[in-house]
Amino acid sequence: MASDKELSREEFDCLAEQLGISGDPAYIDELYSQVRGVFIGAKTVRDIDVSGVEPDMAFVPRVS
Amino acid sequence: MDTLEICYMSAGDLSKLVEKKEISPVEIIDAHLSRIEATEPMLNSFITLLADESRTAARQAEKDIQAGRYKGPLHGIPVGLKDLYNTAGVRTTSGSKIFDNFIPTEDCTVAAKFHQAGAILLGKLNLHQFAYGPTGENPDYGHMHNPWNLDMITGGSSGGSGSATAAGQCTITTGSDTGGSIRIPAALCGIVGLKPTYGLVSRHGLTALSWSLDHPGPMTRTVEDAAITMNIIAGYDPRDVASAKVDIPDYTSALTGDVRGLRIGIPKEYFEAPIDPQVRKAVQDAIDLLETMGAEVKEVSFPMFNQSQAISSAVLMAEASAYHRDLLEKDGHQLYEPVRQRLEAGLFITAADYLRAQQARTMLDEECRRLLDDVDLLAGPTEPVTAPELLAPKVLAGEQEIGVVGALTQYTRPYNINGFPAISVPCGFSDTGLPIGLQLAGKPFDELTVLRAAYAYERATDWHNRRPPL
Repeated sequence: MASDKELSREEFDCLAEQLGISGDPAYIDELYSQVRGVFIGAKTVRDIDVSGVEPDMAFVPRVS
Repeated sequence: MDTLEICYMSAGDLSKLVEKKEISPVEIIDAHLSRIEATEPMLNSFITLLADESRTAARQAEKDIQAGRYKGPLHGIPVGLKDLYNTAGVRTTSGSKIFDNFIPTEDCTVAAKFHQAGAILLGKLNLHQFAYGPTGENPDYGHMHNPWNLDMITGGSSGGSGSATAAGQCTITTGSDTGGSIRIPAALCGIVGLKPTYGLVSRHGLTALSWSLDHPGPMTRTVEDAAITMNIIAGYDPRDVASAKVDIPDYTSALTGDVRGLRIGIPKEYFEAPIDPQVRKAVQDAIDLLETMGAEVKEVSFPMFNQSQAISSAVLMAEASAYHRDLLEKDGHQLYEPVRQRLEAGLFITAADYLRAQQARTMLDEECRRLLDDVDLLAGPTEPVTAPELLAPKVLAGEQEIGVVGALTQYTRPYNINGFPAISVPCGFSDTGLPIGLQLAGKPFDELTVLRAAYAYERATDWHNRRPPL
């Protein structure tokens, strides 16, 4: 899925099928455009140097 | 009293009259129902109007007050809830016909608190479907229209809350803010919208969009009303896993009108982004006024602002797609197409990218905390533009044409990522008569300082007294 290289239409169609996504051609074209945007955004996030940073989303067990 | 005057009175002013029995809740509700009848065909603020129920509740409130059982500043005050707040016995659609007949058996925590305070629920307010969009589009219940210009969007997702409050249909409304959904319609409709600190107001009983970014909060015409509402709805709730155990102050105690000594930072990156020159000037004028009033203003740098859209999108889209995945598979064909596309696009985000965004989120949080070691507030525009035209895909921000979704969330998303409190207050109008908002953000759980500055600014200006031409 999201990687540094541009998402080709063939790769997108293959992934969409695996995810169970279907629709008329115009819908799928628009979705492809959106997903390319998602990939560009993911690349922006991947380019941030996060070395040594732990995501602040610790699960703390509740006292029952 | 003139019914329109009643509809444009603040909760703060109305409650004084209610307590002194100079106005009856019945009179207040009747005035608002008349206003709704006159304006609703143009605005489309409501999904469900509770005319009979609110009249009955008003008669009961009148009896209680006459009998000396006055409950406080929201007793008899008309409230509207965004239609993703569960309300016992009243359908809650989340803005989709898929849930047209869903009637919760229990109030969400916020609705229960309003009820306990004696507020009267006028109805459930329209929203961008499933709160997944910043414009206020909804083909199932009709698109929302901006009271200042009906051809323009309200902003979203809490668009019905924005239009209902601005047009005097409700005194107080609520929104939920995942990427700006309280502050965007507040700015575009010319009202006050407060996104409280994450965890301060319970999410229990609200339809989620993104668990870690959703913030319920008040939308009002005055800062005082936002503070009054926070006094009612803020507080720990064991039924919300993210609810914070913190002391709840009297938020109205912040309303001193004094900003002397308050340190306000202006991130320079805000003004390097695409922005309409009229918005830039209005916001700069507002900052200058705060400085004249005694605040210490200085430029600061917030480099991660430039990555905030990408970080927010990765988190929001992944969480929204996870939350709605079953719905997508079962009823995806019934969703508004752009909403369905966003949900399906989110399925392409990998777990590794989601977690990378969470790492970056931690960095953005730390950067903002460092900034707020040196200043008390960060100030800037809520929106780079005034309300765009309904269904327009792009908008002109200065000399640059940019996508509407990206433009509207440009300045709001950073404070969903870090969960810090942020308010939008009216700070001017464009040449075409459209409102402009000033955003003030503070340290976590320091709503008092945010409200203090917002109130002082509001008191020194009269933007909040203007009324849309309806």
